Amino acid sequence: MYLYSLLVAMLVVLAIFLAPKRHKVWVATGAISLASLAAIVASVVALGGEVVKIAEFETMFFGQESLAIDKLSALMLLIISVASVATVLYSRGYVKGYLERFTSVHISMHYTALVTLVVSMMLVVMSSGGFSFLFSWELMTIASFVLILFEAERHEVRRAALNYLVMMHIGFLFLVAGFVMLFNVTGSANFADIQHYFAVAAPLPLFVILFIGFGMKAGIFPMHIWLPEAHPAAPSHVSAIMSGVMIKTGVYGIIRMMQAIDHNRELLFTIGLIVLISGAVTGLWGVFLAAMQNDIKRLLAYSSIENIGVILIGLGIAAVGHAAGSSLVGMCGMCGALLHMVNHSLFKSMLFFSAGNIYSKMHTTAMNEMGGLAKYMPVTAIMMLFATVAICALPPLNGFVSELLIYIGMFNGVGSGHEVLYSVTGIIALSLIGGIVVLAFTKLYGVVFLGSPRSHHVAECTEVDNLRIVAMAIPAAFILMIGLAPQYAIRPIALVAEAITGSVNTIAVDHFAPTLRIFSYVGIAFLVVVALIYILKRRAQRSRVITEGPTWGCGFTAVNTRMQYTGESFSEGLENIGKPLMKDFVDGRAVDKDEIFPLPHGYRISHKDKVDSLLGRWWVEMMYRINKYVMRLRTGRVNNYITFALIFFVVVLVLTLFGIL
Amino acid sequence: MLVKLLNTLLMVVVALSITGVIHRTRAVLAGRRGTRFLQHIYNVNLLLRKGAVYSTTTTILFRIAPCVYLGAALMAFLFIPIANLEPLLSFHGDIILVAYLLAFSRFALILAAMDTGSSFEGMGAAREALYGALVEPALMMGLATLALFCGDSSFAEIFSEGQVLDVNLTVVLLLVAYIFVMIMFIEGGRVPVDDPKTHLELTMIHEVMCLDYSGIDLAMIQIAGWLKNSIFAVIAANAVSAVLCFHWEFAAPLAVLGAGISVGVVESLRARNKLSRNTTYILTISALSALVLLVGFLLMQDIKI
Repeated sequence: MYLYSLLVAMLVVLAIFLAPKRHKVWVATGAISLASLAAIVASVVALGGEVVKIAEFETMFFGQESLAIDKLSALMLLIISVASVATVLYSRGYVKGYLERFTSVHISMHYTALVTLVVSMMLVVMSSGGFSFLFSWELMTIASFVLILFEAERHEVRRAALNYLVMMHIGFLFLVAGFVMLFNVTGSANFADIQHYFAVAAPLPLFVILFIGFGMKAGIFPMHIWLPEAHPAAPSHVSAIMSGVMIKTGVYGIIRMMQAIDHNRELLFTIGLIVLISGAVTGLWGVFLAAMQNDIKRLLAYSSIENIGVILIGLGIAAVGHAAGSSLVGMCGMCGALLHMVNHSLFKSMLFFSAGNIYSKMHTTAMNEMGGLAKYMPVTAIMMLFATVAICALPPLNGFVSELLIYIGMFNGVGSGHEVLYSVTGIIALSLIGGIVVLAFTKLYGVVFLGSPRSHHVAECTEVDNLRIVAMAIPAAFILMIGLAPQYAIRPIALVAEAITGSVNTIAVDHFAPTLRIFSYVGIAFLVVVALIYILKRRAQRSRVITEGPTWGCGFTAVNTRMQYTGESFSEGLENIGKPLMKDFVDGRAVDKDEIFPLPHGYRISHKDKVDSLLGRWWVEMMYRINKYVMRLRTGRVNNYITFALIFFVVVLVLTLFGIL
Repeated sequence: MLVKLLNTLLMVVVALSITGVIHRTRAVLAGRRGTRFLQHIYNVNLLLRKGAVYSTTTTILFRIAPCVYLGAALMAFLFIPIANLEPLLSFHGDIILVAYLLAFSRFALILAAMDTGSSFEGMGAAREALYGALVEPALMMGLATLALFCGDSSFAEIFSEGQVLDVNLTVVLLLVAYIFVMIMFIEGGRVPVDDPKTHLELTMIHEVMCLDYSGIDLAMIQIAGWLKNSIFAVIAANAVSAVLCFHWEFAAPLAVLGAGISVGVVESLRARNKLSRNTTYILTISALSALVLLVGFLLMQDIKI
């Protein structure tokens, strides 16, 4: 039945082209809602215990494959469904501003790609592996490529989209290689056969190859460089679904592999270590770079990288703990990682939606042009504050719950005295990440929404349409639910974690369910206390003299709004530490200390990821250099070419004579 | 229940008296007679009865932030036991909640400072955000060291009576106490990281963030500051008393005197760090705490060094 709903969704795509321009969004909404609804029903059934079989078929390359929903797929489907519905609802308001400029076909293409992306992501997480997996994986890449290309007339958008396409195909190549290796040994390329492969062949090469392939999508360091390019280029709702959901399919693949290793303790330990270290590096790199960005969407993109790091830290701790035989550590880490996947999809969608609201009014994402937006876009400001608190992992919202679980796992690891060093690595990384995230997001929120406007465009901003607010309220509701009632939210997550770790271990769940119950009471008590203090304060102030005046300028009276702290100055202290991570591009000249009467200066600084130049530029330069030598062979004379052909034949002949070929 | 109430009551007394001890120590060292012991409470009482001036730039966030600041500090405060007493609230993993509640209070005040649109307050906010971020690993490492010794992750369990600690660990626990006093210096905005008594806004961190607060709001921020100080002071005192005499009658005065006198002495005897050196200073403490954890781990392994 679910398969039919997906087919219907894909057929409805045709109707998108026929519908009038304004109503295309509703067709897409219908298709996505249908697919999501069916997915939710199917995943609830799957979480109930049984594996929901969708289809079985013979593929031409990899043999027998199937589409089925087990517990992990069900969780992924839930994540995809919620975020997709919110995204398509949001897209109406966002695309509306482009309806005049773009042709009907252009809009149709966009919505077709959106529906395709949703459907292909669903197929990815249901597929048993092999051909159907690779097919839907590729479909997902192409759909998202078309989605990024929405504003294709902008040069940087085309560049970013192409960059994305190339990076994804490098990753795809690794995946194909991995699956072929798997097929060669086991005769089938399903995820379930990885276990068999690990038993009979050297496991690490396959793991590393697939890890790179999945890591490319997930944005694991150093393969993260497509994220900060693609997200600013893509429309906000596309960024939301790509960052919130699509990169999780990479993590999904990694979890699938870890699931297969479950019985081999030693290997699980090694792989846990790889995942933990790459998670710590990814998280720290992402958060450092996030704190230094001055573009809203670039900052959010780097923060996605950081969150992938947090998820990987959780997974790594889970594997290490499980390998050491401590199921409590394993369960905590796994539940934390899975819950963080859910959480990140929620608050990151909200944040990108907020960024979209700002972009559609300000027509820029450079945060140093903004300031004081809270007065002009109050609802967006509240929504964004909510999501900011959630992503900073502050209690009592959902981000804290997942990090709490990971921390509990690590502290248990420390307390048990077995996995101390690995847990400590995780604790150091996670605490530093937690600290700098607060810096990054107070910077983002403070510079964009608070203070006074830094440019006159701000005053022209108005609140966005209601549908976009509704779209943002969907994730907000889930954030609140998970934050305030984590003891219920953890149940399905624990089911999935049990299915992955293969241990039917209700002890672990019983261990932290009471913790979460008390935490939820504490969270509610915290809100009540804050509200009470506020009410008491208001009551006390009723009889006092309350006046308003300008901000205290410390004796300086000629204050203007350009003197406020900008994003750049906010993170200046961190930049001194993080210098080795990035390359500065300076445009203009700063005011010199010796200039007593400075003339007007223009000064713009941007920080580029060092990996970007190392990985991206270096290859290009090498190609140029090699090409320069190769180009000497291209003389343009036919006799030279005939000589080359002759040399080639002689070489082949000689090699054959000596039996080398 | 009675024990819990006694603990909370003692915590309040500790929180209220630390500042008094600090002032008295400073006065004695400077050769002054000093103010009344409870002068800071009278000051706050005065603030509580005042009206307020709000900047026209600010939004409602500015008015809620002090409530969040105080509320978060208060919630964290309720989790802290004094030596063998039971705290009012406790659950498995609460040490993480306390750390993040303190982060929340910092978050609220940073945003409030950004809300005024003042370059001075932005400056304070940026510095507070950076130092807060860098001190976070130190805090977590310190807590992890305690968790390592006691095998648990809630304050009540870590400092419960049943924990018998090896004599070997004395030095490590003293170092943990040192780290928590240092964290108190940093989070409380004290010399050598920050100077609350300076007259130049450019060099301040914590005080400059609340420049625009007056009346009840300012009072709330100061009360929250006492609570935060007492949290770190009591943890430090608990760590010390765990090796000497694990009893609240010993730990409570130790928290007041240890924290108060150390802050007073340091403020009287040394100058504030140059601002650019603060990051190095804080990172050193974080590194030290990682080292302490490692040493503690090795000692736990019974490796004879």
